Amino acid sequence: MPFRPRPWRAILCLLCLLCLFGPCVAEAAPYVDQLIGRSRELRLSERREWHRLMHYTSNLITPGVHSLADARRFFLAPDGKTNPQSELEATLAAFFSDVQETDKEQNPQCAFVARYSWLDRELGFDPAQLPKQPCKRFREWRETLNPQGVTLIFPAASLNNPGSMYGHTLLRIDAKDQDEKTRLLAYAINYAANTDETNGIAFAINGLFGGYPGMFSMMPYYLKVREYNDMENRDIWEYELNLSPEEIDRVLMHVWELGPIYFDYYFFDENCSYYLLELLEAARPDLDLTSDFRWWAIPSDTVREVVRQKDLVKRTVYRPSNFTVIHYRLELMSPEEQSLVSSMSRGRASASDPGFAGLTPSAQARVLEVSHDYLSYLRATGSNPVADPAELSRTLLLERSRIGASGNDPPVPVPEVRPDQGHGTSRVSIGGGRRDGLNFVELRVRPTYHDLMDPEAGYVRGAQIEFFDLAVRDYSNGIGTRVEELTPLRIVSIAPRNAFFQPLSWKIDTGWSRRRLENGSEPLVFNVHGGPGLAWSVPDTLRSSTLIYGFVESTLQADTRLEHNYALGIGPRIGALLDLTGRWRAEAYAYEQSFFAGDTDRSWNVGLRQRYTLDRDWALRFDISRERQEKQSWNTVLLSLHYYF
Amino acid sequence: MKKILIAAVISALPAFAFAQQNNIGTCGWGSKLFDGQSGIAPQVLGVTTNNSTGNQTFAITTGTSGCTQDGVVKSTWKTAMFIDGNKDRLARDMSIGNGETLDSLAHLIGVREEDRATFNRVVQANVSLIFPSGSTTGDSVVALKQVLRSDRELSQYAASI
Repeated sequence: MPFRPRPWRAILCLLCLLCLFGPCVAEAAPYVDQLIGRSRELRLSERREWHRLMHYTSNLITPGVHSLADARRFFLAPDGKTNPQSELEATLAAFFSDVQETDKEQNPQCAFVARYSWLDRELGFDPAQLPKQPCKRFREWRETLNPQGVTLIFPAASLNNPGSMYGHTLLRIDAKDQDEKTRLLAYAINYAANTDETNGIAFAINGLFGGYPGMFSMMPYYLKVREYNDMENRDIWEYELNLSPEEIDRVLMHVWELGPIYFDYYFFDENCSYYLLELLEAARPDLDLTSDFRWWAIPSDTVREVVRQKDLVKRTVYRPSNFTVIHYRLELMSPEEQSLVSSMSRGRASASDPGFAGLTPSAQARVLEVSHDYLSYLRATGSNPVADPAELSRTLLLERSRIGASGNDPPVPVPEVRPDQGHGTSRVSIGGGRRDGLNFVELRVRPTYHDLMDPEAGYVRGAQIEFFDLAVRDYSNGIGTRVEELTPLRIVSIAPRNAFFQPLSWKIDTGWSRRRLENGSEPLVFNVHGGPGLAWSVPDTLRSSTLIYGFVESTLQADTRLEHNYALGIGPRIGALLDLTGRWRAEAYAYEQSFFAGDTDRSWNVGLRQRYTLDRDWALRFDISRERQEKQSWNTVLLSLHYYF
Repeated sequence: MKKILIAAVISALPAFAFAQQNNIGTCGWGSKLFDGQSGIAPQVLGVTTNNSTGNQTFAITTGTSGCTQDGVVKSTWKTAMFIDGNKDRLARDMSIGNGETLDSLAHLIGVREEDRATFNRVVQANVSLIFPSGSTTGDSVVALKQVLRSDRELSQYAASI
């Protein structure tokens, strides 16, 4: 046939070409597209691991997710914050970058080393087609940390600072060549709001609304021990975690990845503790630690959550603060030794003092050590006893170095109940009683945290902090159902004094409570109330059974139903807290307020409160009181059952 | 006699030699030790503010900055910065002749287990030289080096400070 239609030839040619080169063309399809294709087949972007690494969390109302990370550079795709699929594909593409590592810049494989590691495991990168970057900086960093374990660090509350009960948490990376005696050399990883703000109020407000960037940073653990144990006098609890070497590596890789990244910092939820949980989840993706803390992450509650996980905590270590050590060692001393400590630490006596010279070498060592530590305590709390405390401190230590003997005191005993083992921090109560001749049923809800009558194990003695305590009562007749009180904030610190420690006790609360008027009505009145006080322990030991206290309190009430729309009062409160048994506590109190300005009145209140602990999370209370307002007096009796969770 | 000799050697050294040569000034922790806050206001405000420790922290991947590399202390600075961050505790442990801070220092310098007792004894005997009145971290580092160098058994460790 002379004529061959050209189209046939063309098609034939094409077919030949395809046959010959087809496979090659397919193989020549960029490796990145193959990887992306495979990632789609495996639906990697839907995996929990990917969501953990990217900190994706479900949207509140609309379907879909968004990442908690707020730094643009954390995302390689323009819509990476909300689109896991496109972020994963952009990440794969970025791994082909040939950017060389410098001191300020990293190749994406190194900057996102945790993502690289996971995607490599899932997709099996071919090093011939996707050359592996050396990531020298990451490797050297990891070698310096030389990780063998991860420990969750929880500084407990400091005395006379109830707010510190909420605590702070950080992670410690324990190196292979360290042991119990050299743990100070480990590195700590801390997540905190990054700001130079020194105005506490501005700091608080900005923090509430995410006004600061939260960032991970690291520092030697000894700085943190010095800060908490020595400066803030807070005991530290260390929870060694049971992580496999791979999981520890994942923590480190992810920390590295988050190093330059910020998250908007919110004090209440997206705070230090929340992100540490996220780190642990990235290490072990099947852990679910964060879901309970979407709205409210109290550091001590996050510690409980970690402890609750099966086999996650290997063991715990207690590191007493300087204050705790001094207090304990003073308790072991004779009165003569104590008075020597008191005078030597203030430079009023020296080693040539006859009383000191007469002691055994071991007692001399003890007196000098405690004198030094107590002087350090005074310096840390801003009350230097002498003009040059550093020189006095040095003198005490030089004297100590001349004594070969040891002070020989036993170590501070570990508290029987850890902070994570105390009662739950939320509370609901139901009770019934009679007030001024009317029976009532009361329902009380307190979202957080601890009051003086709650079971004390695991908490700081004398410290109370509560947020949004709400009591509603239903009276049998006449009044009906009404809000009895709503207290957004209440703090009480009863800090006992002795020859060595002279803290000021204090209290402050604000909210709405019932006040009786002359006409017999009881409006819900806004008030701010508080004042300073003094307290003592009897006997004077850290865990004594009785606290007695006295306060001078003032009250400002504001309400249109008050005469002149306000009332301003002042008056004393005295009371005693007494543990009759380990479970049974009683508090007797008497309180008077003289309202001298605005709506004047003289009111008082005396009462007895009792609590009996049934179980860690259950307690019974029985309160009786008699009070007087606007020349009318009445009694109240209330029996209630409290459940902590 | 030996003590006097060491003291003489140390005082002959320009106190700032080490500091200048190695620029410890920019390397310390900017120690906020003994900068305590007292009173009620900081406590009340402390209630709603999680603790942030600003200047003592290092960002993790910022490359070289002062004496750290990507958030960890460069190895040449480990000992000096440890002494700087633990001065009071270290002086205390040295004067007692044992303790966690002293153990950590010995580990950092690489003192072997069999030399620990000697190390503890020697620093205890020389604590006044290692922490002279009004001493800076630089002074203490130089003095510690000298004290170790002057001891027959411990001189091998002087170089690792």
